[in-house]
Amino acid sequence: MSAPAPALAKAPRRTVTVRLADVAVTVAYLSLIFGFLLVSFPVSFARIIQNSWLNGNLTVAMMVIALSIDACLYVRIAYRLSAKPTVLAAACLGFLPIVVVAGLSSCLQGAVNYTVSGDLPNLQARVGEEILAHTYLGLVSGIFLPFLVIRLLQQLKAARSNRETESPSQTAASVSSY
Amino acid sequence: MRFGGFGALGKIMADWMSIKWLLWISLYLILAVFVPWATSLAWAHQHGSDLRPRPKQLFERGELGLVGLVLGISVIWDLLQSQYMPQTRALGSVLLAVSGTMAGAVWIETYCRHSTGMRSNPERAWRDSRNLAFFVFSLAVVIEILLDRFAKVTAS
Repeated sequence: MSAPAPALAKAPRRTVTVRLADVAVTVAYLSLIFGFLLVSFPVSFARIIQNSWLNGNLTVAMMVIALSIDACLYVRIAYRLSAKPTVLAAACLGFLPIVVVAGLSSCLQGAVNYTVSGDLPNLQARVGEEILAHTYLGLVSGIFLPFLVIRLLQQLKAARSNRETESPSQTAASVSSY
Repeated sequence: MRFGGFGALGKIMADWMSIKWLLWISLYLILAVFVPWATSLAWAHQHGSDLRPRPKQLFERGELGLVGLVLGISVIWDLLQSQYMPQTRALGSVLLAVSGTMAGAVWIETYCRHSTGMRSNPERAWRDSRNLAFFVFSLAVVIEILLDRFAKVTAS
C-alpha cells in the first residue's frame, strides 16, 4: 500500500477571526447616514420612527436590520479571510442582536413611562426625542455588541489554548484584543 | 398620542444648524491629527531633515485610538449634562465608553507588544485605530445632533 501524497491532503481551513475594526467602519457609515437623515429631514424622518414605535413595528424592524447587517458583515469577513464560520459565532450573531434590541426596547418603554409620569412641558416632543435616541443607540448596540462579545470570546479561547500549549513562539503569535 | 405637530421642530426644511456640532468635533481632528502632523513637518524643516512623515507613519502605533477615547469622554460629559431620561443617558454613555475603550486598546496593545518584543504590525495598528476612531467620531456626531435637537425641545 502506498503512502498518501502529502500534497493531496486537504489543509484544514482556519476559523473566522472577527476584528472590531472591520465592524466599526460599517457602523460608522450607518451612523453618518442616520445623522444625515436627521439633519436633512428633521421632522419627517423623526415622524416615521415615532409612528412606527406607536404602531409597535419599531422593535421588529430594528431586530431585522441588526440581524441582516450582522450576518452580512460576518459572511463578508469570512469570505475575505477565506475562513470557515464557527457555530459559536453564528449562534451569538443570531441570538445577541435580538436580546440586545429587545432589552433596549424595554429600556425605552421605561424611559417613556418615566417621561410621561413627570410633569414636564412639551411632553410629546420629549417622548419623540427619547424614541429617536433609543432607536439610534439600539441599532448601533445591536450591530456592534454581538461582535464585541464574539471578539472577547475568541480572545479568551486563544488565551486558553496558548496556556495549554505554552511555548514562547506561540505566545508571541497570540491574537490582539481589538 | 400622535407626533404630527412636533412643537418647536415643526419645520420641514433641513435643520442645518445641527452641522455646528460637526465643526465642533472637527476641532478634535484638527488639534489631534493635523497639528501634530504639521508640527512634525515644521520640526523637520527647522532641523534641516528630510523627514516627511505621513499621518499613517506618525500614528502607526495606534495613537488615533487615544484621540477616539478623548472624544468619547467629552461627549459622555455632554450627554450626562443633558435632560434626557437616566436610561438614555446611561445607554449612550456606556456605548461611548465601550467604543472609546476599544479604540484606546489598540494603542495599549501595540505599546505592550513593542515593549515586550512581540511581533507587532504597524499597518494593522494604524488601520484598526483609524477605523475605531472613525466609529467613535460618527457616534459623537450623531449624539451631538440628538442632544442639539433635545435642547431645542426642552428650551421651547
